[in-house]
Amino acid sequence: MGESNTRLLQKKNTQENEKGVFMKVISKQDFSDFITTLINDESLDVHGVKAKDEKFVFGELESSDDLRLDYDTTILPPKKYFMPQYETLMKCSLKSPFDIKEEKPQKPLVLIGVHPYDIIAINQMDAYYCNDDVSKSYLDRRKNTILIGSDVLNIHDKAFFGSMNTGQVENGYDLFLTDLDDKVVIEIKSKKGKKLLNKAAMVREASDVEKQKVTAIRTAAQGKAKRGMKIEPKQWYSLLDQNYTSKVWKNQSDKCLACGTCTLVCPTCFCYDVNDEIDLKGNSKRVRTWDGCLLRQFSEVAGGEVFREDIKDRYRHRFFRKGKYLPDRLGFTACVGCGRCSTQCIPDIADPVKVMNLVFDNSETFIQDEDKQPKSISLDAIKIDEDKATSLHHPFPATITKIEDLTEREKLFEIELDSGEKLGHEPGQFVEVSVMGVGEAPISIASPPKRKRFDLVIRNVGEVTNKLHEMKKGDKVGIRGPFGTGFDVDQYKGRDLLFIAAGLGLPPLRSLIAHVLDKDNRKDYGKVTILHGCKEPCEVLFDSEIGKWQEIENVNVLRTVDRCPEGECWDGDIGLITKLIPKANFDQKNTFCMIIGPPVVYPFCIQILLDLSVPEERIIVSLERRMKCGVGKCGHCQINNLYVCKDGPVFNYKDIKDLPEAFE
Amino acid sequence: MKPKIAFFDFASCEGCQLQVANLEESVIDVAEVVDVVEFREVMTEQAESYDIAFIEGSITRPIDEKRLKAIRKKTKTLVALGTCAHLGGVQRLSNQWSAKENLKEVYPDAKEKNINKNEFFENPHHKAVDEVVKVDYVIPGCPIDRTEFIKVLVALIHGKKPPIPDYPVCVECKKKENICLFTIGKFCMGPIARAGCGAICPSHGSECEACRGYISHPHERAQIDVLEDCGLSADEIMHRKTMFTYKYVEKEKEESK
Repeated sequence: MGESNTRLLQKKNTQENEKGVFMKVISKQDFSDFITTLINDESLDVHGVKAKDEKFVFGELESSDDLRLDYDTTILPPKKYFMPQYETLMKCSLKSPFDIKEEKPQKPLVLIGVHPYDIIAINQMDAYYCNDDVSKSYLDRRKNTILIGSDVLNIHDKAFFGSMNTGQVENGYDLFLTDLDDKVVIEIKSKKGKKLLNKAAMVREASDVEKQKVTAIRTAAQGKAKRGMKIEPKQWYSLLDQNYTSKVWKNQSDKCLACGTCTLVCPTCFCYDVNDEIDLKGNSKRVRTWDGCLLRQFSEVAGGEVFREDIKDRYRHRFFRKGKYLPDRLGFTACVGCGRCSTQCIPDIADPVKVMNLVFDNSETFIQDEDKQPKSISLDAIKIDEDKATSLHHPFPATITKIEDLTEREKLFEIELDSGEKLGHEPGQFVEVSVMGVGEAPISIASPPKRKRFDLVIRNVGEVTNKLHEMKKGDKVGIRGPFGTGFDVDQYKGRDLLFIAAGLGLPPLRSLIAHVLDKDNRKDYGKVTILHGCKEPCEVLFDSEIGKWQEIENVNVLRTVDRCPEGECWDGDIGLITKLIPKANFDQKNTFCMIIGPPVVYPFCIQILLDLSVPEERIIVSLERRMKCGVGKCGHCQINNLYVCKDGPVFNYKDIKDLPEAFE
Repeated sequence: MKPKIAFFDFASCEGCQLQVANLEESVIDVAEVVDVVEFREVMTEQAESYDIAFIEGSITRPIDEKRLKAIRKKTKTLVALGTCAHLGGVQRLSNQWSAKENLKEVYPDAKEKNINKNEFFENPHHKAVDEVVKVDYVIPGCPIDRTEFIKVLVALIHGKKPPIPDYPVCVECKKKENICLFTIGKFCMGPIARAGCGAICPSHGSECEACRGYISHPHERAQIDVLEDCGLSADEIMHRKTMFTYKYVEKEKEESK
């Protein structure tokens, strides 16, 4: 690996580590002088734990006396340094919207006094933000920080890091402090840390007695901060897995204010929202702010539907994300026992110790299911490919090359990337379309991969789509993507295909239908049956194109409308799309069935297919949720443990049939 | 063409208009993007029509309703400015008594013949603007927040929906790392009150009284449970529910009828 760009972030990056722990000792006075030297160094920003009335916060240190290593816990965790409450992701002027400027990282930050459990939470955050799509803004902030840990000298009465095995930490920091009253033991963990400590006078090696004292402090803290949690952290997974329907969720959430506090103060809650802001002078900013799954609009889509309307569902989601969904995805239980939610929840229902114990007590049986455990990963083995780090929310400029009115509410936009490159999508994928200054909307790609330009069918339902409808040929939009998992076109080769498209489900299916019916691909697939339904004849999309499909050999098209008002022409069926399925006359044993439509159609269509003996694994659906980031970070589009923007939007029914949130 | 904007005041302390008049250095930038065509507090001119009319104050008497309806006809967009226009303001609490009782309380020495048949005293009963005409958008708060006013104005100019949050004050309070007032023996409506104020009151140690109204789906039962658990009596809870938000209580009463 050497000095190549692929390296471990702050982990095992010194040879010293491999030889053992390097412990130094410094007198209290010299330590105080060391902090003063750092504060006076104008090339550094020095933040640490300080008092705020009777509580503690991380903030800028103005003198070494501000630093309070005797703190119990801080109101907010140090995540605010790596993912600020309000973060400008990019700036531009609306006059030249694609002349995008980024905010450069500030001076190097020295962050002093982070407790072990909070360092572990930061390590988890590294895994989250640097997994797959690596967030450049996160990585920049993380690399720009010299992190100095500190042992827990006073234990907050709500802390339970002892129960979570997070009272000690092995990596993720540069220096680590243990305050022994008259002196401070400093462990050197990285080159960055060692270099910083060179600014201190009179550092000597720690004696065995001093090392033993450090161990004693850690063991005592770990032993004390337990609070009677009845299960081990690794048992959370099975306990939650077996108790999705526990009455505890409803009983507790009856008292929930849905105020979002538990998620905001949590060091392992990373979900965020992104919005575009405009100022009086016509400058625009794309801004990231903290969001949380307890807040109602978290799961709201542009059409106004809220996928977790019931507070119970939001309340449960938070615990499942920590104990089951993140373990499924990244291999760790995302609670470090800091006790912040336990302290700050006003009705006192957020405390994981209380809640997990309640679930345990109310669980009729509890089997530690070893087979169903997610693979656990060691946080020090997380590889971060820095070359892959990108500004995840920056769109690429593209030009609208054609606009076609389809219906009163829908228009078709043909778009070409200004780079001249092909989008390179698979059928079923989506893009995030930006109107600079207004925001982004996730839109399914409606054209096959072959063409250089791509089509988007856009219904005027929200702010962004509203603006898009006002645009003209030649106007610029921003494009991010393609995102998500599309249709597995190879898997369907040699098979018959049944397409069930209800309403706006046709455009995403059109990307696959057009691919399959392309003369170069047609031989790979058998009989194609297309069922299309919408409310009224005036809502029919791609009328002439459907006519052309019908003329192709071995293609059968059946169409229906819910109703046909007087005076309108209609030669297809009248009734719901479900009525077309039995008429389709397809070979149940050899057909893949694709369904896309509004949420209401899925349960009915799927049931009819199952009744016709179509195997579960041959039913393919595409789901819609609030896909905000497109890269599995912001958390809005989750269906239980799955991220629609990454794992979907196209799913095999067999894989999601048991997910309660999939077809609610 | 710059959009024409106008300000109108009804029953209020005019503090929200004052917030606009006091925009300080931003005033010049505002004047760059809009034409202020009517604003009694700073100018005497009047106009025939407006693109955006900002309405301050609660709507109290028949003459007010008539005037408001006339404004609605002349404007493309109508924005309720501040708590009085949004919810009816603190003065709405007087709706608990009859018009006659209120007049007697306020003008105990007035001769009845001076009050009767005087349109200025006719049947005072406070309403929010949306109870009289269609309101397109609301800028909540007592008083409004100047930064938020500018954000809304800019959004409207660019054809965007004004960015009024629909999450509770707790969110802003936590982001600011304030000490929760509940932990120091105070009480607060923050968990169900609409944010956007930057949690200004709790940030200065004062309890939130929900001057911006509630979020769109407040879990009010849970909030009342919390206040009860803190030892508040039914009267004290009602006091907290009615300071700025008597509109909701009136609605509840109507619905339970």
